[in-house]
Amino acid sequence: MVPIWLDALDEIARTVSAHGRTDLLPWLRRKRAQLLDPRLRVLIIGEPKQGKSQLVNALVNASACPVGDGRTTVLPTVVRHADAPAAALVRALPPADPPAGQLPAAVDRTPMTIAQIPAGVAGRIGGRTRDGAHVEIGLPRALLAAGLVLVDTPGADRPDAIGDTCSASALSLADTVLLVSDSARELSPVELELLARVTRSHPNVAVVQTKTDAVPHWRAVADRKRRQLAGAGVSAPLLPVSAVLRLHAASTGDKGLNAESGFPDLIGHLRRDLARKADELPRRSVTMVTRTVIEQLAAPLRDELAEQDESDTAAAIAKLHAAQREVDELRRRTTRWQNMLADQMADLLADIEYDLRDRTRQILRLVDETFERADPLVGWETFEEWLEESLLEAAEANREWLAQRCEWSAVRVADSFARYADDVLPEWALGDRSLGGRSSVNGEAVAGGLPVVNQPTVDRFTVTQKVVAGMRGSYGGLLMFGLMMTLAGMPMINAVSVGAGVVFGGKSIRDESKSLLRRRQAAARSAVQQSVDDFFIRVSKDRRETVRQVQRLLRDHFTGLTEELQDAIVQSFRQAKQAADVATAVRDQRRGEIQRRMRELAALYDRTQRLTGRQPAPAPLGTGL
Amino acid sequence: MTTGSGFAEATRALLHEALDRYADDGRATALLHGALHRLTGPLRIALAGGWRSGRSTLLNAILGEEVAPLDQGEGSPRFTWYQDGPEVRAIAYSPVAAPQELTVTRSATGLRVGPAGWRPAEVEDIVVQWPTRALRQATLIDTAPVGGAGDTGAEEVLRIADAVLYLTRDVRDSDLRAMEATLGSSGDRTGAVNMIMVLSRADEVGGGRIDALVNARQLARRWRRDPLVDALTIDVVAVSGLLGLAGRVLSETEYGVLATLAQVTRAGLEPALLSADRFTTADLPVPVDPELRRALLDRLGLFGVRLATTLIRTGCDSRTRLSAELIQRSGLAELREAVARCFLDRREVLRARSALDTVRRLAEEEPRAGAAGLLARAEQILAGAHDLRELRLLAALQGARVRFDGELSAEAYRLLGGSGVDLAARLGVPGEAGGAELWEQAQDALRRWRYQAGIAFRLAERRAAGIVVRSCEQMLSELDAARRWAS
Repeated sequence: MVPIWLDALDEIARTVSAHGRTDLLPWLRRKRAQLLDPRLRVLIIGEPKQGKSQLVNALVNASACPVGDGRTTVLPTVVRHADAPAAALVRALPPADPPAGQLPAAVDRTPMTIAQIPAGVAGRIGGRTRDGAHVEIGLPRALLAAGLVLVDTPGADRPDAIGDTCSASALSLADTVLLVSDSARELSPVELELLARVTRSHPNVAVVQTKTDAVPHWRAVADRKRRQLAGAGVSAPLLPVSAVLRLHAASTGDKGLNAESGFPDLIGHLRRDLARKADELPRRSVTMVTRTVIEQLAAPLRDELAEQDESDTAAAIAKLHAAQREVDELRRRTTRWQNMLADQMADLLADIEYDLRDRTRQILRLVDETFERADPLVGWETFEEWLEESLLEAAEANREWLAQRCEWSAVRVADSFARYADDVLPEWALGDRSLGGRSSVNGEAVAGGLPVVNQPTVDRFTVTQKVVAGMRGSYGGLLMFGLMMTLAGMPMINAVSVGAGVVFGGKSIRDESKSLLRRRQAAARSAVQQSVDDFFIRVSKDRRETVRQVQRLLRDHFTGLTEELQDAIVQSFRQAKQAADVATAVRDQRRGEIQRRMRELAALYDRTQRLTGRQPAPAPLGTGL
Repeated sequence: MTTGSGFAEATRALLHEALDRYADDGRATALLHGALHRLTGPLRIALAGGWRSGRSTLLNAILGEEVAPLDQGEGSPRFTWYQDGPEVRAIAYSPVAAPQELTVTRSATGLRVGPAGWRPAEVEDIVVQWPTRALRQATLIDTAPVGGAGDTGAEEVLRIADAVLYLTRDVRDSDLRAMEATLGSSGDRTGAVNMIMVLSRADEVGGGRIDALVNARQLARRWRRDPLVDALTIDVVAVSGLLGLAGRVLSETEYGVLATLAQVTRAGLEPALLSADRFTTADLPVPVDPELRRALLDRLGLFGVRLATTLIRTGCDSRTRLSAELIQRSGLAELREAVARCFLDRREVLRARSALDTVRRLAEEEPRAGAAGLLARAEQILAGAHDLRELRLLAALQGARVRFDGELSAEAYRLLGGSGVDLAARLGVPGEAGGAELWEQAQDALRRWRYQAGIAFRLAERRAAGIVVRSCEQMLSELDAARRWAS
């Protein structure tokens, strides 16, 4: 019948494979082989010079392990039963080493004579490959034949020095661990730490206090050690022994001395362990193994669980929040640029109109000044040319300024988009191409529409008019002076009166001519003014249109841009949201998976706990499941 | 030849210079004054070692009286100073309270220190003044165990001590690490000149068989050849503090009991000496009170009893002779010889070295204008110290790292001051020899070693020969000076 603990162990192996921790499998396989092995493997550990080898010797009543003053045990020594004394140096072959699994894998056995044992144990045989090597000694002893295997280890003065450096002295393969500490002193800090370490992974640990023969107050020391053990929470029995007495008793056959040596107790302890090897020990071992395995399996799961909460979701949520912020920001910016564009354009319009007005006024002022003095009849052609030129020039300057202002406004508005892209200006290059084109049309329109200022028509002073005017003036003078002469008795038409008539006629011609000039000037001024006003109205209308068009253009462009951006942002927002949703879903799924596994582990733990027939202790999962 | 005088003078000058530089810094000034004071005071030797390595027992054995408390509880003070003084007194210093005079009561074999209400955990240092010859040349400092609860660290030990006796039961890796740390902190790794490794509890070697002490001595020799240990220490000595102490304080009563026991034949006593239990309870053909037996065990240990009875049987028939034999066998004499040779004879060098360390540390910890110059000077002095080179070469000769043909090794050892640092001892002539003979010998040695320096095959040996030549030259110049002084 398959023992119940074996089922449990196999189940653990299955769980381990299910978790993908194949690195644990070799160890479990070794453990299984060890637990199935009916022999009791006793690992003897401790600090150097505590009498470990002597303890082995005294147990088997033979000087199997070399003892000496310096450091004698370098390689682990395995003492087991054999029909005839034999010894061998066992080395794991290098290629078979890496998997560290299979216990009976390729090993190299070099038989030794009994005399070679000390050198072999001191590591002086077999050259360089000391790692992983151990010495095997076979002895015909009843105690060993009963199934005891003793493993003597090199002394270790650091807690971490005891480890699975070599398969022979591997802590995990021992059924019973004996910590050796001599009677000279209580347990050292190193020993206590060592014990704490070993009892964590091992069900069966005892402390052997050696050399009780050399110290008078060894009982006090033993009491102290027991108190120390209790204080450290280590439940290991303390067995005081004296190898010297035991060996002496063996050589003299002194039963009393043997009893005094304390060895019967130790052997009894080991035999009890051996008897329990078939069932109870494996159960406890399996419990321990489960604990170790579950701790190992649960730790990454737990870590993952803890990590999950922070990393993944946090990233998704952060992205979501960022997208949300982007949308808000864009909205804010849109309002801002729209307002800005409207303001800019209103300002622009006012400024441009004022500028145009200013320029035409200046022209008009010049015209006024000119016609203060000049006669419109003289050089009208030249004047007309000049006027046309000035007006075109003004319109051109104004247009250029408009172009610049438009560009500037566009740049100002584009600044609102600086955080999204560098080059967001509309494709048309302001001023050069489209506005320029428009302007040339405009210019033509102005030129064509520029009214030919008519030369004032009424105002030419013809010869007939002059004669009439002269006649009118001379008539009055002739009459006035003729009448006065008549009074003096002179004839009406005389030299004087004719002379006066001529003078008066000349004056009236001059007067008439002057007033005609004034009228001409006034007519010319008003004609010019009217034509300039017309020009102004037309041009300003044109400008207004241009500005409106520019505004429309910019608005359309930036609206389009905004829409594009918004699309992109909304898209990324949507993606972020989707990603967050997916992450959450995946996490939830993974969490469920982990929790399921944890529950399985807990259940497994409970089952194996029941193997020892004790109340199951809380599973070492640490998640509060 | 007064060894190390030039070195010490240079160090003193450097200390004065450092005092000038740090005149405005109270702490530094105090430190430097302390260092100056130490240059002339007794050599400070610290006993360091792991937990239960036998420091107190060895200290008592060296002092010849039970001064150090043997069973220290959990909170032992960091340092316990044993120094020479006109009267017996003990003062406890604590960082939290004022110094406290401790009551000292004399017992039959020593003194007990400690008043009521003494909380050892709070006490940093205890200074015990004790009028004894052993302390005249050197102050001994017991330290908290290495790696234990109150471990002070190697740095601290070296700060207060000029030389270290490192005790270990069995040379463990942790011991080697601790020793390495002690060396490393002093900043020069070329070789140790200030540490002796003591294999304490030599009587426990090999399970306390009768040849334990011989084996222990062999073990010490083996360790001396170990390259790592050799690099860390200047000598390795095996000592049984317990036997040494027993030899120093053995009373007539105890001798009487031992003599009574020795009357029993070896074979008759053997069963009783199998174990401590047996010894106190076994039926013996001679009447010895169990209480006395227990006291004897406490004093000597089982191995000690075994050894002492054997010794009495083979001729040590009085207390004094037994004491002398025990002291001899315990290795205590060897240790004292090693301490005298390696530490006391070279105390000027070792003290100056500590002072240089103080300056160096100060310049590194509180750098200021001129500190770099001080550092450089300290390095220069240290590098130029011929005495240190002598000490290192002695250690190398002893560890057989450097070897000359035939008798040359022994001669080099002698010339370097390995068997005494005065001129006669170095030159191997009787102490009363006149200046002319010394001159002759020194010239001779100089010629021989100049030749060696030329022909030696390996670089290490050529260098070593060079150092011996320098020693000879120094001796000659000293003789020259003495002659001019006389005329």
